[in-house]
Amino acid sequence: MRSRTTLAAAGVLVLLMALGGCSQNTPSNGVTDTSSPSGTTQTGAIAASPEDSLGPAPDVPGATKGGTITIIREAKISHLDPQRVYSFAGLMNAPLYTRFLTTWKDDGKGGLTLVGDLATTTGTNVNGDCKVWEYTIKDGLKFEDGRPITSKEIAYGIARSFDPDLTSGPTYLQEWLSGTPQYDTAWDFKANKTSLPPGLTTPDANTLRFEFNAPHCDLPFAASLPTSAPVPADKDTGVDYDNQPVSSGPYRITDNTPGVQLVLERNPNWDAATDPVRHQYPDKFVWTFGPDADAAVSRVIADNGPDRSAVAWSGVPASLVAKVAADPALQDRTLLSPTPSANRLTINTQRVADLSVRQALNYAIDRDGLVKTLGGETVASPITTLMPPGTLGYEQYDAYPAGSNGNIDKAKELLAGRSPELVLAAADDSQGQEVATQLKTNLEKAGFTITVKTIPADSKLDETKKKDNPWDLYVDSWAADWPSGAAILPVLFDGRTIKADGNSNSSFVNSDTVNAEFDRILALDPAQQTSQWAAVDKQIMTELAPAVPLYADVAYNAHGSKAGGLFISGIFGSPAFVNAYVKQ
Amino acid sequence: MSRPGRQPGRQPGSPTPAPGTGEKSAGNAAGQSPAQLTWRRLRRDRTAVVSGITLVLLLVIALAAPVIEWLYGIGPHDQFQQALDRYGMPVGFGGGISDEHWFGLEPGLGRDIFIRMIDGMRTSVLIAFTAATITSALGVVAGVVAGYVGGLVDSAIGWLIDLALALPFLIFALAVVPTVSLRFYGPREAVPSGFQFAVLIGIFAVFGWAGTARLVRGQVVSLREREFVDAAKVSGAGLGHILFRELLPNLWAPILVSFSLAVPAYITAEAALSFLGIGILEPTPDLGRMIERSLGYLQTDPAYVFFPGITIFVVVFAFNLFGDALRDALDPRSTR
Amino acid sequence: MGRFLVRRSFSALLTLFAVSVLTFGMFFVLPRDPVTGMCPKNCNPERLERVRQELGLSDPKVEQYLGYMKGIFLGRDLGSAQGGHCDAPCLGYSYVNNEPVSDTIARVLPVTVSIVVPAAILWLSLGIGLGMVSALRRGTWVDRAAIGFALTGASLQLYFVGGVLLLVFTYQWGMVPVPHYTPFFDNPVDWARGLVLAWVALALLFSAIYARLSRAQMLETLSEDFIRTARAKGVPRSQVYGRHALRAAITPLVTIAGLDIGAALGGTVITEITFGLQGLGRTAVGAVRSGDLPTIMATVLVAAFFIVTANLAVDLLYAAIDPRVRLGS
Repeated sequence: MRSRTTLAAAGVLVLLMALGGCSQNTPSNGVTDTSSPSGTTQTGAIAASPEDSLGPAPDVPGATKGGTITIIREAKISHLDPQRVYSFAGLMNAPLYTRFLTTWKDDGKGGLTLVGDLATTTGTNVNGDCKVWEYTIKDGLKFEDGRPITSKEIAYGIARSFDPDLTSGPTYLQEWLSGTPQYDTAWDFKANKTSLPPGLTTPDANTLRFEFNAPHCDLPFAASLPTSAPVPADKDTGVDYDNQPVSSGPYRITDNTPGVQLVLERNPNWDAATDPVRHQYPDKFVWTFGPDADAAVSRVIADNGPDRSAVAWSGVPASLVAKVAADPALQDRTLLSPTPSANRLTINTQRVADLSVRQALNYAIDRDGLVKTLGGETVASPITTLMPPGTLGYEQYDAYPAGSNGNIDKAKELLAGRSPELVLAAADDSQGQEVATQLKTNLEKAGFTITVKTIPADSKLDETKKKDNPWDLYVDSWAADWPSGAAILPVLFDGRTIKADGNSNSSFVNSDTVNAEFDRILALDPAQQTSQWAAVDKQIMTELAPAVPLYADVAYNAHGSKAGGLFISGIFGSPAFVNAYVKQ
Repeated sequence: MSRPGRQPGRQPGSPTPAPGTGEKSAGNAAGQSPAQLTWRRLRRDRTAVVSGITLVLLLVIALAAPVIEWLYGIGPHDQFQQALDRYGMPVGFGGGISDEHWFGLEPGLGRDIFIRMIDGMRTSVLIAFTAATITSALGVVAGVVAGYVGGLVDSAIGWLIDLALALPFLIFALAVVPTVSLRFYGPREAVPSGFQFAVLIGIFAVFGWAGTARLVRGQVVSLREREFVDAAKVSGAGLGHILFRELLPNLWAPILVSFSLAVPAYITAEAALSFLGIGILEPTPDLGRMIERSLGYLQTDPAYVFFPGITIFVVVFAFNLFGDALRDALDPRSTR
Repeated sequence: MGRFLVRRSFSALLTLFAVSVLTFGMFFVLPRDPVTGMCPKNCNPERLERVRQELGLSDPKVEQYLGYMKGIFLGRDLGSAQGGHCDAPCLGYSYVNNEPVSDTIARVLPVTVSIVVPAAILWLSLGIGLGMVSALRRGTWVDRAAIGFALTGASLQLYFVGGVLLLVFTYQWGMVPVPHYTPFFDNPVDWARGLVLAWVALALLFSAIYARLSRAQMLETLSEDFIRTARAKGVPRSQVYGRHALRAAITPLVTIAGLDIGAALGGTVITEITFGLQGLGRTAVGAVRSGDLPTIMATVLVAAFFIVTANLAVDLLYAAIDPRVRLGS
């Protein structure tokens, strides 16, 4: 009878279930890491002595030459053209085939030093007013075809970044040189290919000079971005340059099949003696595109064949953490590190104008529950400050001490019987929805009435950046381009930058006292600035409470048994390859 | 496939009964209407009875979800994060199975799986039944009109059917579903789950009527040349009478079969849309979304995958089994 | 026959045209403005507007549509930001992927074809074979097993099956590598190993459907008068089943199969997502999510082309076999 076959079908399924196995989960001490993520303090500064900028970079203990490192990523890297690179993958890939004016020495444990890369130092503040900067370019630098790199090629690289066709890259140098965000109309690159943008000059082959109308003490930091990478003018093919840029780094691009793979091989014309940071241990780097996070991590854990020297670009997803963390054999094949990506629950202060309500939100928040929702401590690390741990000059404080699960009673006390109705805008992807559900349940315990408004994930960022956006709360994330408070606090909380669209200050706060503090600190010498930002951080939280700091992303990446020298970049929180080698 | 499951298109082998067809089933069938004959055959078929009872049971469970929730004591939105470990994974056997949580807890949010599955079944059944009814109705009307009137109307409707089948369902669903609610609800208003249901049913209707229409049109084309239609015309019957009194009664068999196959197809399709993230949104429980999230946990919490996976399989299987039995019962020529 | 062909071809072209208009109309409802993606941080609205102008996105929609369609037949100039001149058939330039869309399609289409065609061969042979056998051995355990298999397969969810197959064969037993695509001419063995799980998953589901269909069709054919006549005439059983019954039963099946394959080639989204393969369907989904209209247009038109062509082929087949179809109104 058919019922018999039905039974058989059911039996097969039960068998499958058994294969999958119903397993027992006993909470153990599980992972891990020698230092707790949020405890790592990032120290560092601008290099004090020019010797730090000299090559060669110190040898990595145990490193051997040869082999191929494979990096597995789902989507292809959006840009290779250095003036257009701005994604994490692009920024971690760039040091392999390009060099910049300045760069970061990262010891992988939180110690960061800004050093000169193509330049001999991190820049000379000529008049002490941060308006005129000079860089001396090192001798003996060459492109992959042997031709020399001089200040002309670096200047050309910066000049072409003015081309509106070359979209997506950072815009600091362009805006500072031209003095306006409309830099592409202030100076037309296409019409002036043989000249340089205003303020940028090359007095001789070894000197590069920046002259700004306004002080920009952060130039040494901005110069570490790939906008300052050299480009030979006669090889510039515009938008097509993205396919195979000319290399100035230890590797050059030999094969670029979009969506399939990117291959980098040794550049014989890279001179280690001029480079303070990079090495050239592996023969090849191969980016393989396609597998999603689950597939990539599973492959790397399985450790078969070429995957032994592979690393999965995406972190271990929350769903696999339990398996990876519980396996002692995998302990030294994972990288665990805090990142500078900070997530906060932004409060639209135009709509939630009552400070006590904002403070109540800060008391009510259950960070522990939120971290569990996201997948635990290897995915997220709770924070109570606006600047993430790891920012230079960071100091831990808690303006609204509520304990790790929140203090509902204190929140209720502040609300004094009110039940504010707030609308939380949430992305419609699975993480956005789960976080929204968690926040809603959490905040409603304190008496808030939360309406979750779901909007398409891809447009959420654009929509919440609009001044007249209709929502009260939204989860925002921010990863500074360099680990200074200057790249975080004024950008996010200076009310004078508020415009109709594209606001990073999505809390829309505008406080004269805070703005004045920003101005004061930004006029200081960069070395002196570092210690000042923590106080402003606390001031903003205490006086304005424009957001509820939630958590910092944690990087938890897996690699094969033969991949060595990998670490998580202290600047961008992604795997860095400058020290990578293949264990023989 | 980019189509919402199989629609019976050019399906061969549909029974074509006409009034008074001679074949009698075993036993005393003299004077019984086709409906009564079908019912008798169904009752005799053991599998049909078993699957029919299962279906009724599932329907009752789905509809009585609030009662079950009241008896069980735990709601679909209650969180039990204290029972999760530091990675957000449920502690204990099989993903947290206990006498309090029969099917365990969800990782991350820590909600009860059993009650969410009951509610999820309710979502699936509701949407699938409504969608199947609407598409069948639309398809029948279109198919009858096209088949009977013929000519330019037939060509036009036929072309529309081709268009509906050529448009990629998933792409359009992806583009339209997330944004359509923004046009009906203000930016600060939450979208009720009822509206979300309506949107999904709507998009199924726009794409799903074509299959039934094609099937029905084929049947009507072959029927309209039959003698009884001529006889009705000759005796002065109006268009309405011919359509509803002569043609429709002979179409109910394929329509019924098509409906019984459409329901499981729409359950699958709705789950597929939720799998892609454009189905029913949080916090409303949904089987497809639960499976999508659980697949990532296949290696670390397989119980989380199997509960919704088996459930949806059982529901769809029961419908398919019953639909098969129904089709056999309707076709006088087939003997088990 | 000629007139029929002309009429149906005209209808097919009209369908494709309607599809292109409807898809372009999607522009009005897309969730994301793609240009804002080019300006991740510190974006300036005026500069963004200039980028939009350069890409032609500020032109009236009708003009954009006509420009796109012209490009398909005659090629068009796209401006320096999009790679200059684009030869016919120009499917546009994807400012999200930073490459001409025809390159994208050329890269992802073989993946989808490699998934669908071998899977189709598998499911057709398995399904029709099973259905035929079970019809011939009606009532026996073979028949019941086949029906059971057919019902189970039709009730399975593709992503669930895929997930379980991955767990068992790739992650636990390691018999098969993680699914990936290698071009057939590069390494046929690796091509097969990388896709075999997708083929099996699709075959499990679709062969079940075809087993049911072919069994029903075969049973119906077997009860036709001409079969009884042939048997009565003394024609040997194998000939009766092989020549007469099989031919009659197979025709409608092949036509349905043609339609299904046409539709599948249009984009096996769930298969590609479950197995992590970058094919046409997945590309289309990504394009919709990021608002990349040229890529959406191209993938939809390619998919619709397959479906419409399959429809046309099926209609022609029917017309060739059945004179009533081509003569009827």
